[in-house]
Amino acid sequence: MNIAVGNWFAIYKRELQSYFKSPLAYIIAGVFWLMAGIFFLVSMGSILDQVAFLDSQQQQFGGPAQPVDVPYLLLQGFLGVLASLMLVIMPMLSMGLYAEERKRGTLELLATSPITNWAVALGKLLAAVTFFLGMLLPIMVYEAVIFASASPAMPISVFFISHLGLILLAAAVLSLGMFISSLTNSTILAAILTFGLALMLWVVEAATANASGPIGQVLGHLSLLRHFNTLTQGIVDTGSLAMLATYIFLGIFLTAQAVETFRFQRS
Amino acid sequence: MIEVEQLSKTYGSYQAVTDLSFEVESGEILGFLGPNGAGKTTTMRILTGYLPATTGTARVAGFDVHDNAMAVRKSIGYLPETPPLYPEMSVEGYLNFVAQLKGVAAGDRPKRIDSALKRCSLEDRRKSLITTLSKGYRQRVGIAQAIVHDPPVIVLDEPTVGLDPRQIIEVRELIKSLAGQHTIILSTHILPEVSMTCDRVTIINKGKLVTTNSPDSLMDELSGGISYVMEVAGQFDQAKEALQAVKGFQSVSETHKPGLPEGHLNLTIVTEGEADPGRELSAALIQQGLGLFEMKRTRASMEDVFLKLTMQDAGKESGQDASEPESSAEDAVTGVAGAEVAAPENAGAEVTDPLAEKADAASPTEGADATTNAEATPSDDSAPSPISEGAE
Repeated sequence: MNIAVGNWFAIYKRELQSYFKSPLAYIIAGVFWLMAGIFFLVSMGSILDQVAFLDSQQQQFGGPAQPVDVPYLLLQGFLGVLASLMLVIMPMLSMGLYAEERKRGTLELLATSPITNWAVALGKLLAAVTFFLGMLLPIMVYEAVIFASASPAMPISVFFISHLGLILLAAAVLSLGMFISSLTNSTILAAILTFGLALMLWVVEAATANASGPIGQVLGHLSLLRHFNTLTQGIVDTGSLAMLATYIFLGIFLTAQAVETFRFQRS
Repeated sequence: MIEVEQLSKTYGSYQAVTDLSFEVESGEILGFLGPNGAGKTTTMRILTGYLPATTGTARVAGFDVHDNAMAVRKSIGYLPETPPLYPEMSVEGYLNFVAQLKGVAAGDRPKRIDSALKRCSLEDRRKSLITTLSKGYRQRVGIAQAIVHDPPVIVLDEPTVGLDPRQIIEVRELIKSLAGQHTIILSTHILPEVSMTCDRVTIINKGKLVTTNSPDSLMDELSGGISYVMEVAGQFDQAKEALQAVKGFQSVSETHKPGLPEGHLNLTIVTEGEADPGRELSAALIQQGLGLFEMKRTRASMEDVFLKLTMQDAGKESGQDASEPESSAEDAVTGVAGAEVAAPENAGAEVTDPLAEKADAASPTEGADATTNAEATPSDDSAPSPISEGAE
């Protein structure tokens, strides 16, 4: 058991290296940075316009000044956009995790090595999350520059908790994507199915927003976005943290089970 | 080192392996021989812990494959049918990954990798990306991967498939050099490979054990009758009538041979036990006024043994292109043997050892012509194809 857990690092290292050797990963990162940069400027511009409009209204009609928390609005708006972007991008990072191994026959090597399916899945997921962190880091740098120059400056805890929410959301989608990837040896199919599943867990929020029955409430809790939103508000809600962690764990668990089951069925 | 006891494996309703038992001694090379779909890969996958057995047990290096899977995995090096390679990695990086995966301590890894590279003659490709390697080199990386953690047991699933003749020889030499320190199971459907590399051979067919023995004693046991292959001009019935009168004659059948002139027959005559009626057979044909263009005496080869053992119950259902179903096994045998004859003018009885000839055929320096001649094999999929993969 000791070696089985120790070896996850070999999987982690190889998987991370394979991202850096894959042109697709660079394209994904490039597109992500470009889109994030554009949306950052656009959301900042629109919020500043909004503030200017409120200011001019106040000057025209008088009355008390409306306090507007610009950095907070910007953070929430921008992270919302990033979350939607991730809906498309995360399935592309997770699609190859197992599908590629199945296609190349290397899953047979992993399955006959002294390492448990859990450790393999864990190593792979951590590698994917690490690559996503690499994608997120430059964005966090320019966010930090803007938010630090705001007056009054944004509490640092809000900044970190909201980004933790984003990372957990990414990990949840990657984990579910990894499970789907373990079911097929077609990477494209894995990406499409993961996108579909993530989309479903996304829209469940809108569909159940006004639901009042017990079923509606249960479904509402499945929503990835709802739990993500509580964190972007800077609120450490253990319920939301637990729910996102459950998604991550569920993905790893299902992956380990799927690998075990599918190997038995192959003739 | 390896003990397999009454192993069975079913996939749904399909019985892949039935009640298989065999043992492999420490330091031995066991050839696992059988037609495609005989259950070779399934058995190997059970041994490596990739598949669970339905019933029965297997022990590798003293550990039960089911109860002690992690210990078994540590003591096995496994090369699946397709080498499990990551094309974007370098050879060295890949071996380092596998060594780490197999639990080789960080301090030992460079030494182990160097030794695996050396054994597989990969030192000059150390830094090459696997995607740039030829098939032969990839196969060697696959073998290096199986020995990098110095396991007591090595399982190789069809290690020479798809290689050219020179590479086949190199891989066989490599496997032979591994014996002694390692216990090796090697699956193949290429017959000369078994007699060339293995200490013992286990033949399985349709998931059932047919026999386990050394290649030599198998040949001795089964090389009873002598048969002749003849090219005759005339009618089959006429020839049969003439031959039937000869003492020691057992059966005659017509076999297909490519490039046979119009009106010529390729006959295979099986004779009884120790009788060697070459003189009488040729005389009988000539007295009948039939033209004798070629005559060749053959002894049982690995092919004969293999076909005899695996086709006992399958003979009638397999689609041989023979005219007489009751002798389809012999037909297939001589279909192989006949294709080797490269001297059509020679009408005298010519004694050749098919095995030795095939060994030559596998070597490009000594028998480049023979390689192409040996290509014609029986059309049945389940029949063995001696080195036909090897020829380019």
